Amino acid sequence: MNTAPRTSVKVAYAIAGGALLIVLTQLIGTFELAGRAWPPLADVLSYVLTPTGAGLLVRNSLVTFTSAAQGFALGSAVAVLGAALALVVPMFRPGLDRFAAILHAVPTIALAPLLITTVGREDAPAVIAALSVGFVMFVTMASGFANTGSAQHDLFTVFGSNRARRLVRLELPRAVPAFFDGLALGAPAAVLGATIGEWFGAPMGLGLVIVSAMQNYQMSLLWAAALAATAMSLLAYLIFVQLQRIAMRRFT
Amino acid sequence: MSRLRSAGVNLVHLWPVAFLLICWDVWVLVNGYTSTVAPRPWFVIQDVLAGFADYVPSISYTLGMALGGLIGGTLIGFVGAILVWWSAALSGIVTPTALIIRSVPITALIPIIARIVGYGDPAVLASTTLICFFPAFVFTLSGLAAIPEAGRDLFSVLGANKAQVLGRLGVLYALPNLMVSVRITAPSAVLAAMLAEFLMGTNGLGALFSESRSYMDMERAWGTAVVATVVSVLVFVGAQVAERRVDARLT
Repeated sequence: MNTAPRTSVKVAYAIAGGALLIVLTQLIGTFELAGRAWPPLADVLSYVLTPTGAGLLVRNSLVTFTSAAQGFALGSAVAVLGAALALVVPMFRPGLDRFAAILHAVPTIALAPLLITTVGREDAPAVIAALSVGFVMFVTMASGFANTGSAQHDLFTVFGSNRARRLVRLELPRAVPAFFDGLALGAPAAVLGATIGEWFGAPMGLGLVIVSAMQNYQMSLLWAAALAATAMSLLAYLIFVQLQRIAMRRFT
Repeated sequence: MSRLRSAGVNLVHLWPVAFLLICWDVWVLVNGYTSTVAPRPWFVIQDVLAGFADYVPSISYTLGMALGGLIGGTLIGFVGAILVWWSAALSGIVTPTALIIRSVPITALIPIIARIVGYGDPAVLASTTLICFFPAFVFTLSGLAAIPEAGRDLFSVLGANKAQVLGRLGVLYALPNLMVSVRITAPSAVLAAMLAEFLMGTNGLGALFSESRSYMDMERAWGTAVVATVVSVLVFVGAQVAERRVDARLT
């Protein structure tokens, strides 16, 4: 415990942990320790490998992925613009900060009625995903912009740069790591937002499959869809964490 | 006078909220929506104020479930992290697993919990507890991992055993991290409680929302959304205050 374990040891532990998790899930299912609602993992996998199961999962995963990706792109773009606006027009700043904190705490389910009437059932998942990503992104970007030292700030001012130039030359490059931080945090939020949107009567998607499988007591399908959503969220997170590491190396 | 002034400044800084209310009203008027499509904000606020007694049971249920899960999940995560910290091998195995489980979307978790535990209060509480457990676990563990070598060496030179290192040094590093986790998970706990209630439709704000939506009582549905937002913001602000208190006490 006194020395930090080496990378190879860490990897070995991680693999052991993953294997332990799989074995535990399988055993709980086999012995019905958690009742019939927890099927053995092997049953879930064999369901995924059947043509119907695979087709259903792939089609709905694609729908959810599209909504999540659209929402992710839209939400991050608007949030970055908003944070930049708050930086360039200082008058807006205190209000926008507080507003972002409030928005951050809004339960996304509360936005559902608004979205169903405005954008309709089909586009609501993407918009809810965009909102969830936007909140996270705005908060990280605002703190990323605030992070530039006042000495550098003064230097730019003394050399006669205006706010727009200072934004482009100083604050934007400095905020790049925060941007990737926001992307890494926002990726799971996008998947969550899209599936929440699908709960409210979208025609297709993993969220819909999860709810209908639950109501019809199709446990293998429920678990398979839940695993697909988890895999999507985890993969997106890991990809953006890698990008974030690269950005950290380049911009700090 | 200065207190009055700062209160005034605080109010002025809420301008985006007022702006949003006005936009909402204009949007309803311009599109000519009837109140079954989208009610005007003033009627929604009126419904909340006039019928507040109808909201109270749902608010207290959701708040209770969210806070219960927040406190329970955080404590279990804290104790679990300490147990895991005790053994290097266990920590190596459990930490990656916890990270995987953390990325399970709540929307995938709640239906499974509802099927395993059964519809009702235990399922709601289990959902909120589980949502708060993993962040608390991960944050506590990273706090304990940040105990500097020098501090640990000093303690062992002075003959402290592992429990004393934990009680006198580890807590100092783990508690601020634990409070960060409380702040982060507080709104998620409210969201999880509402999603579970919405899905099972038994009790609470989520159930009130789904009920008034199916009766086309749009003022009540939107009112529930507004009330839920206020509850969530208050829980978040409360967690923020608690975090600052703990930080001020420890540093």
